[in-house]
Amino acid sequence: MPRKKVILAASFGIVFAYCAVALLAPVIAPYDPHAITGAPLSPPDKDHLLGTNDLAQDVFSGLIWGTRATLLLGFIGAAIAVAIGTAAGIVSGYYGGLIDEAVMRLLDVAMTIPIFPLLLILTTFFRPGIYLIAVLMGLLGSFQGVRVIRSQVLSLAVADFVVGTRALGAGDGYIMARHILPGVLPLAGVKFVTSAQHFMLIGIGLGFLGITDPSVVDWGQMINRASQNGAMVLGLWWWLIPPGLAVTLISLALAWLGYACEDEINPRLRVMRI
Amino acid sequence: MIEVTDLETNFSTGFIHRRVVRAVDGVSFWIEEGETLGLVGESGCGKTTLGRSILRLIEPDRGRIVVDGTDVTALSRSELRRFRPRMQMIFQDAYASLNPRMRVSESVAEPLKIHRMGSRADIDRRVRELIDEVGLNEEHLNRRPYELSGGQNQRVALARVLALKPKFLVADEPTSALDVSVQAQILNLIRDLGRDYRMTCLYISHDLGVTRAMSSRVAVMLEGRIVEIGRTADVFDRPCHPYTQRLVDAAFAGRACTPPERPPLPAAPTMVEVRSGHWVEETV
Amino acid sequence: MTNEALLEVRGLKVGFPTPDGLVRASDTVDLEIYPRETLGLIGETGSGKTVLGMAILRLLQPNAAIEGEIRYRDRDLLTLPEDEMRKVRGREIGIVLQNSGTSLNPVYTVGTQIAEAVTLHQGLSGPDARQRAVELLDAVGIPDPVRMAGEYPHRFSGGMRERALIATALACRPTLLIADEPTKGLDAVTKRGIVDLFSEIDRDRSVLFITHDIETVEDLAARVAVMYAGEIVEVGGVREVFWDPAHPYTRGLLASLPERGMRPIPGSAPSLITLPPGCRFSPRCGCAIGGCNREHPGLVEVGPGHYARCMLYD
Repeated sequence: MPRKKVILAASFGIVFAYCAVALLAPVIAPYDPHAITGAPLSPPDKDHLLGTNDLAQDVFSGLIWGTRATLLLGFIGAAIAVAIGTAAGIVSGYYGGLIDEAVMRLLDVAMTIPIFPLLLILTTFFRPGIYLIAVLMGLLGSFQGVRVIRSQVLSLAVADFVVGTRALGAGDGYIMARHILPGVLPLAGVKFVTSAQHFMLIGIGLGFLGITDPSVVDWGQMINRASQNGAMVLGLWWWLIPPGLAVTLISLALAWLGYACEDEINPRLRVMRI
Repeated sequence: MIEVTDLETNFSTGFIHRRVVRAVDGVSFWIEEGETLGLVGESGCGKTTLGRSILRLIEPDRGRIVVDGTDVTALSRSELRRFRPRMQMIFQDAYASLNPRMRVSESVAEPLKIHRMGSRADIDRRVRELIDEVGLNEEHLNRRPYELSGGQNQRVALARVLALKPKFLVADEPTSALDVSVQAQILNLIRDLGRDYRMTCLYISHDLGVTRAMSSRVAVMLEGRIVEIGRTADVFDRPCHPYTQRLVDAAFAGRACTPPERPPLPAAPTMVEVRSGHWVEETV
Repeated sequence: MTNEALLEVRGLKVGFPTPDGLVRASDTVDLEIYPRETLGLIGETGSGKTVLGMAILRLLQPNAAIEGEIRYRDRDLLTLPEDEMRKVRGREIGIVLQNSGTSLNPVYTVGTQIAEAVTLHQGLSGPDARQRAVELLDAVGIPDPVRMAGEYPHRFSGGMRERALIATALACRPTLLIADEPTKGLDAVTKRGIVDLFSEIDRDRSVLFITHDIETVEDLAARVAVMYAGEIVEVGGVREVFWDPAHPYTRGLLASLPERGMRPIPGSAPSLITLPPGCRFSPRCGCAIGGCNREHPGLVEVGPGHYARCMLYD
């Protein structure tokens, strides 16, 4: 029990720290990440905590500013995915019948679409800005969650308390918002955390392939440029490793958060009666 | 007050082989104002479906239902929603009939909020009145269903339903999950409140003893149809239909020596009036 | 009928530690079951009757605090080593648990599950065990037993499932059968069938019939014990206890039956963590006298073989 609380606290702490860094980037970062500051490819020293890259930009500042891109993609994408997925799941599960059939068939088709390649194609051709990428990821990633939400809604929709509220004269919208939605929020919350982790990694991947917005500093980009400039061979560890570590850490934190929340949420509302 | 004519509710299952189950198969009866009609039968006879069909919580496929002068079957969805306060239901599992996340005060206030019956202060006041009427007190207001016992939850469910001052109440086995002494408390409460609110009641149960105590008339249901209906004392003391006899034997009489055979089901059921107000399905 | 008790419970105390305190589910219970009799054990939710049944076969959760003695055939069941206890379970003492819905494994056929009981204790296997399973299903009144033995539990109705569970419990011919709420949730006709079945069962063995359904006990049992808040408050012959109840709780319970007037007992059962001082029923008792809420009464004889835990008879 206490171990779980420690993990929960630690992961929350890490996520919170990342958010703080992202918000306070202009304050924390010593330099503008795009600015040329001193000699290129120089190792860390007192002026540049993580050295400089091939364009003599400060790596540390890049790392700080890169937090924004990662978190943005992760959280906005997850928010959109969860919002659409939950809404679809609730409507589909609550109404049943033709609406449910239609949504399920649509989902069958949609889920055959490979998300990452599609995302690749869209971003390569249209070169959207970072916000648009987040929206796209959210849209494409919303399909997965619908089924899970829907099955929870199916059991909620026939529960006596829902029937009873309908008997009181409540409209469908009211019931869905006031009774069904709170019932699926825990599931949706967990989905949000895991989706955020997933999307952050995809975002890094896109950055690595050089497809994201070049005007935004992105850890994936940094890793890409570092390896292209022979960081492995030349031993430019200060450029190559920190972004990778940064991604790993937030990814782990979110994964732990997801597991810990799942455990918390499931047994809580069940009470044993002897 | 309540008049049901030829009600039919079917359930179809199966995707390839469509099977139709006639849960409610042509049921007709009436209930006088202020009267409690008991509805008994084995599990699966359709009595729960009948109760929910009358309230249109399950949509019936055919038939007419008149509640307090209004043809409920002809109402549109929004008209039905506005009419709902006049006809309410309490369920067997009180714990399941309450949202586990909502506190008692919220659950009881909900119907008043949905129909916008007064300001927040008015609603608060009415909630306190209702809680008091059902025998709970202030300390229960902030509790959630899992913190209360079955009997207490059923009281909350009653308060919720009474908030709308219904004229017709369907009670679907409200006490079968409760202990005997708690059952007595709740049933007395329902009886008293029924009198105070002048409600007409349909009391569904598989327990004949309880039904006898609660209803002035009773209907016996078998496989979707009513096979006998009449004054409770008459039906239970001098049952006419063989199925009723079987139920009464099982519930009230001593040990049966051999398990009785199921009576053959009549081909085309017709109801015959044996005595005034006492109808029996004709057996061939 | 010998006077030697088949099962004797002495001073049984069962407690469950919870974050809120120790739940005293069973507090110093003394009970005897004689050969070839059905003892009814009546009580409402939280009275401790299920715990008592489970304690006899040591089926309670590992962190339960159990004290006392349960003598069965010159052995104290509570001190038996686990492998000895396993031989008692099923073979000498059988149990039909509550909640028949989850008592059968949905992925095995019913016949297989009954045969399992036979295989475990009597060494029969394969076609012999299956044959026995079919015989048992027939004996408990399941129609078309050969076919039903090959069916899965979901095809069985509530009453039939109960019968199948009884068949499993009887498979090894135990001398004592503990039945925990066998008629719960069943409608009147099905209930009658199960009661009839039990009246056949108790011809050759003892039955501890745990229930909150008073009428079925009246039909089946010779003696009955009434439990309240973890204690036995009255015990005696069925006729005496039901038609001339001594303890105010028993009287209140009977009065709350629909056929006897449906007069409720005011208040509700006490928490098993913080019990009221003195007599546990005194806060709700209409006949409480001065000492009732101070002194805890013991079982007092109020008639031949009829005992009640009440100050009024001291």
